[in-house]
Amino acid sequence: MSTTLKSSAAVAAIAASALVLSACGGSSPTQAPEQELQFGLSGDVPKLQPHLDQGASAMLLDSVLHRGLLGYDSKGEVVPALAEKYEQSDATTYKFTLRKGLTFHDGTPLTSAEVKTSFQALADPKAAAKIVAVTQGIQAIETPDAETVVIKLKAPNAAFLSYIADTTAAVLPPAAYQNAGESWVGAGPFKLASHDKGVSFVVEKFDGYYDAASVQLNKIDFPIYTDGQARTNALLAGDVDLIDFVPWEEFDRVKADQNITLDAQSGPFMYLNFNVTKGPFANAKVREAVALAVNRDNVVSAALSGNGSPIKGVPIPESSPFYNESLAKGWEQNIDKAKSLLAEAGYANGFSARMLSTSQYAFHRDTALSVQSDLAAVGIKLDLDLPDWATRVSKGNAGDYEIAVSGSAGVVNDPSFLSKFVQGPAEHTRSFGYDNANINALLAQGLSEADEAKRKAVYDDVSRTILTDVPFVSLAGRAQAFAYQKSVTGFSNLPGFLTFNSGYTLATTSIVSK
Amino acid sequence: MLRFIVKRCLLGMLLAFIVLTLIFLSLHLVPGDPAEIILTGEGGGAASPEALAKVRAQLGLDQSLWNQYVNYLSGVLSGDLGSSFRDNSPVTQAVAERLPRTLELVAVAVLLALVVGIPLGSLAAKRGGVIDATINLVTSTGISVPVYVIGTVLVLVFSLKLGWFPAGGFRAAETDFGGHLQRVLLPAVALSFGIISVVSRMTRSAVLEVISQDYVRTAKAIGLSRPVVFRKHVLRGSLNPVVTVVGLQVGTLLGSTVLVERIFNWPGLSGLLVEAVLQRDYPVVQGIVIVISVIFILINIIVDISYGLLDPRVRTS
Repeated sequence: MSTTLKSSAAVAAIAASALVLSACGGSSPTQAPEQELQFGLSGDVPKLQPHLDQGASAMLLDSVLHRGLLGYDSKGEVVPALAEKYEQSDATTYKFTLRKGLTFHDGTPLTSAEVKTSFQALADPKAAAKIVAVTQGIQAIETPDAETVVIKLKAPNAAFLSYIADTTAAVLPPAAYQNAGESWVGAGPFKLASHDKGVSFVVEKFDGYYDAASVQLNKIDFPIYTDGQARTNALLAGDVDLIDFVPWEEFDRVKADQNITLDAQSGPFMYLNFNVTKGPFANAKVREAVALAVNRDNVVSAALSGNGSPIKGVPIPESSPFYNESLAKGWEQNIDKAKSLLAEAGYANGFSARMLSTSQYAFHRDTALSVQSDLAAVGIKLDLDLPDWATRVSKGNAGDYEIAVSGSAGVVNDPSFLSKFVQGPAEHTRSFGYDNANINALLAQGLSEADEAKRKAVYDDVSRTILTDVPFVSLAGRAQAFAYQKSVTGFSNLPGFLTFNSGYTLATTSIVSK
Repeated sequence: MLRFIVKRCLLGMLLAFIVLTLIFLSLHLVPGDPAEIILTGEGGGAASPEALAKVRAQLGLDQSLWNQYVNYLSGVLSGDLGSSFRDNSPVTQAVAERLPRTLELVAVAVLLALVVGIPLGSLAAKRGGVIDATINLVTSTGISVPVYVIGTVLVLVFSLKLGWFPAGGFRAAETDFGGHLQRVLLPAVALSFGIISVVSRMTRSAVLEVISQDYVRTAKAIGLSRPVVFRKHVLRGSLNPVVTVVGLQVGTLLGSTVLVERIFNWPGLSGLLVEAVLQRDYPVVQGIVIVISVIFILINIIVDISYGLLDPRVRTS
């Protein structure tokens, strides 16, 4: 009996201490909001190199710590940032006027000279900048005075301003270049207060920011939650105010909570790549057969828990002025036509091939499984190769595959983003060995055309060529979502591929009483 | 005895060297290029061949495997585990920062196992019948339910439904002790379920064995009260195998922290190891594996030596 009494006393003690502990952490709900945001971030960023393509978490930090000449507003329109105004004097010349008295977080002045150094670094092919394909087109950067920057392009580029509005085109302090472009010091609305590796980042409002008056948050704490479920739990338990990258399988749980807003945009998309240098997929007819054989609704439900949309043609979104409905549906599933194309190509009895994907990300793996069963129906037997992500990247870069599952996004919403998927050096997000002179010429023409109607005609031609030559097979758009407590206002998920620039809106975010 | 200890230590060092060589070779043989991951993050980005070559040269990956191995080995011998590929920080520093956090989880779990498991096992042995059967059922469940299920259920109940605890995360004990305790409890409890069950079952069988010994009967016969007989003679005599089992279970617990740290977003050593493997951060992976191996080997040496001290037959064989 005594033992029983003792153990129930122990249980009571544990329960009591739990209550005491939970009381320590709670704060009174009647207080005025402190303008300190808790942002559950999906990944750690060991070093910040804004000019490289380091993924979503790095871009989020770039967007609060750094600024470029231009930025995006909450609707995804290009707006002036460090540049007070900009004008295009002719087809290839842009003149930017900097705001007065700009400084970096450490107090170093930011003048046209720092802008010039940054753009030189962005254009250096050895530095592997994310937008180097665009910045390589810069012919000259002139700085007539400390507040004026004139950028001359080799050829017109209708999307140039959109590209340099991306977080990656940040102006960095000169010290960054001694360190391979690494810099936590920037000219953004917040400055880094502390970084506890693998645990959190803390940023504080930077009073020297050009628009400090409209920045309402005093502090943002970014605790790192790499696991999607743990991140969602933290939001639902009220530990954090805002999370990025809501996992698709958690959408329903988040939506069910009355106090939380799920802010989703169609972001990156899933697609198939081919090694076109050898084997059956060197034949465009076989690739087209694949494009016609896959069931994209299955991909959306299997890989994205239904939180996405099938893409049945060239992945230009419906919201874009360049959207063309008939071309956007050009790969509507058609098993009979797929079979006859295979027969024409000499594979009436089908063939076997190796498909590369990754087991590290469930949505990549499930996309592969879904496509595997669709292609089996037309006689293409796929053996899956599912290594971890690092291996998948290596094999993709080396062309060590026949067909592969990829997921990626353009940098801008302008249809010129398509170039990333059809031209350039061997790279794991592109079909290995693919090069089509006709598409390359059309894409160049699309950039140089200023008139929107003419541009649309050009991109329609690009789309038509893509539909028959099939440099990739679009599958599904992924719903990319942030989720936040209803008390968070002013934050907004930017449309389309710009979703990764959404951190720009933290400069105007505030916390209101519930 | 001294010869026995020296022999065990030399064997331990040889073992550590073999582990180091195996992990070095296997990491370099596995496909995946650290430079590619560093330059493109988890994004679908492109890196130029020149930039890749530059990063590889910076990391020393352009040298021959043999050179890299010799460099690494000489570093380890002088106490230098190298620097992280991802942020250049010394691996020893990362390990020093993360290891105590993981050991803390393990320590709290072991403490819970002793405080809860021993009384539970004693109760089962003393009472028998329905109580024994119930405890048996509970401990069987504790052993067989995977730690990630327990962790997930704890989060669901205590964080999301009741709101008593945060759903995970970390606060440094120096700056926020209350917050630290709040966040350590659930993961430690999740971790402790298995070991509580093992300790309880071990205690039960040991107590049953001791309770039928002659000296226990004698103690009762000379008129000592039942609680005194149990505490002084039965329980004390039963604890040796329990303590041994706890020592061996620490290894399993270290393994389970991989899952628990992820569920509760606890920034320990295991989480860093997983992250480093995925990012192909060779020095960090090697450093953590070495440190964990040495801890394992040390525990085993200590167990061996204590056996030797307790039982002279082990020493001579």
